[in-house]
Amino acid sequence: MSELELRLLALGHELDVPVAPDLAPAVRARLEERPGRPFPWRRAAALALAVLVVAVGVAFAVPQARTAVLRWFHLGGVSVERVESLPPGVERTKAVGLGRPMTRMQAEQLLGFRLALPPLEGNPTVYVLDGSLATVIVRAYGRPILLSQFRSPQVEALKKLAVDKTTIEPVQVDGRPGLWLEGGPHTLTYLSRDLSFRQRTVLIHGNVLVWVREGVTLRLEGKLTRAQALSIGRRI
Amino acid sequence: MRMHQGIAFRTAYLLSGSAADAEEAAQDGFVKAYRALGRFRRGAPLRPWLLRIVANEARNRRRSALRRERLALRVAVEDRPGDAVPSPEAALLAGEQRELLLAAVERLPEDQRGTVVCRYFLELSEEETANVLRIRRGTVKSRLARGLERLRTEIGEEGP
Repeated sequence: MSELELRLLALGHELDVPVAPDLAPAVRARLEERPGRPFPWRRAAALALAVLVVAVGVAFAVPQARTAVLRWFHLGGVSVERVESLPPGVERTKAVGLGRPMTRMQAEQLLGFRLALPPLEGNPTVYVLDGSLATVIVRAYGRPILLSQFRSPQVEALKKLAVDKTTIEPVQVDGRPGLWLEGGPHTLTYLSRDLSFRQRTVLIHGNVLVWVREGVTLRLEGKLTRAQALSIGRRI
Repeated sequence: MRMHQGIAFRTAYLLSGSAADAEEAAQDGFVKAYRALGRFRRGAPLRPWLLRIVANEARNRRRSALRRERLALRVAVEDRPGDAVPSPEAALLAGEQRELLLAAVERLPEDQRGTVVCRYFLELSEEETANVLRIRRGTVKSRLARGLERLRTEIGEEGP
């Protein structure tokens, strides 16, 4: 390195650079703004940025972690990870693979919490997987929609892997933080509540809305638009 | 976010030359980075990606603010504990030389100035500089070569 280059390096250390202001409050406020369009970037989105950046920063600070899957987002009992390619997944038909069918009362006794359901006719069949994940098939907009829910544990219980074709947006469902996944296939991996057992991967082609309400993570899955999913979510 | 705001602000400040512009540029950079997360490629290093967005914001502000007659970049004039105390004449000379060099950097064409700032003031590698400025590594080398040559001419120093 030449003498001039060394002088420039030294000069860089001697420059009078002001102390960086705390940008987080302003950035959070900016993300909460909704300039002219109903794009609900709110507190959850701002916090998610902080969490994400810190998580990614930590990951890249550790050389051996650089090859690990990038954790994309964590919400309630769900984590969403963006990956380059999806693992082999099982194509799921409507009710197969959702768990054991039972009545709503039986499911609530098994799960230990009251299910959040939209207004339904009759007594719906509830499918319960691993004693922790309940799913109901709801008909809306002329098509079947899966509504799943489980109590959000301290550790992630439900992992989504999304490829680049899937867009992931923070949303608000009736004022609560949520995520909207749209556009491409992604897999869903279930883990049991105590993490002691099996996990299975199913391939999902529909769009997904995930949100958290009173300690319960809810997810809608189906061929819905974002507006349709949010409309259903608000009615649950 | 707080982990990266220091380097983001420093980058924005050194590229824009203004604390107010730097704060705005860093804020905009974080907001845009967040909204562009969907296009962030897994496995790509985060810092250059974030700095690239911040740097772009900062350079845009600098372009629109070149009407400023006086740039805000200054050399700090504080004594460091443990430093040998130079003679008043030597201190004055050293200070003048630093100011002269900084002024010469400020007069560089924008493309060369940005490259010099990234490479020497921010101490980014050539590859990081290329990534942040969205140019090829070869372009970094050529801009640095031209910038250094021009600086030598300006401050009257002979080549390496």
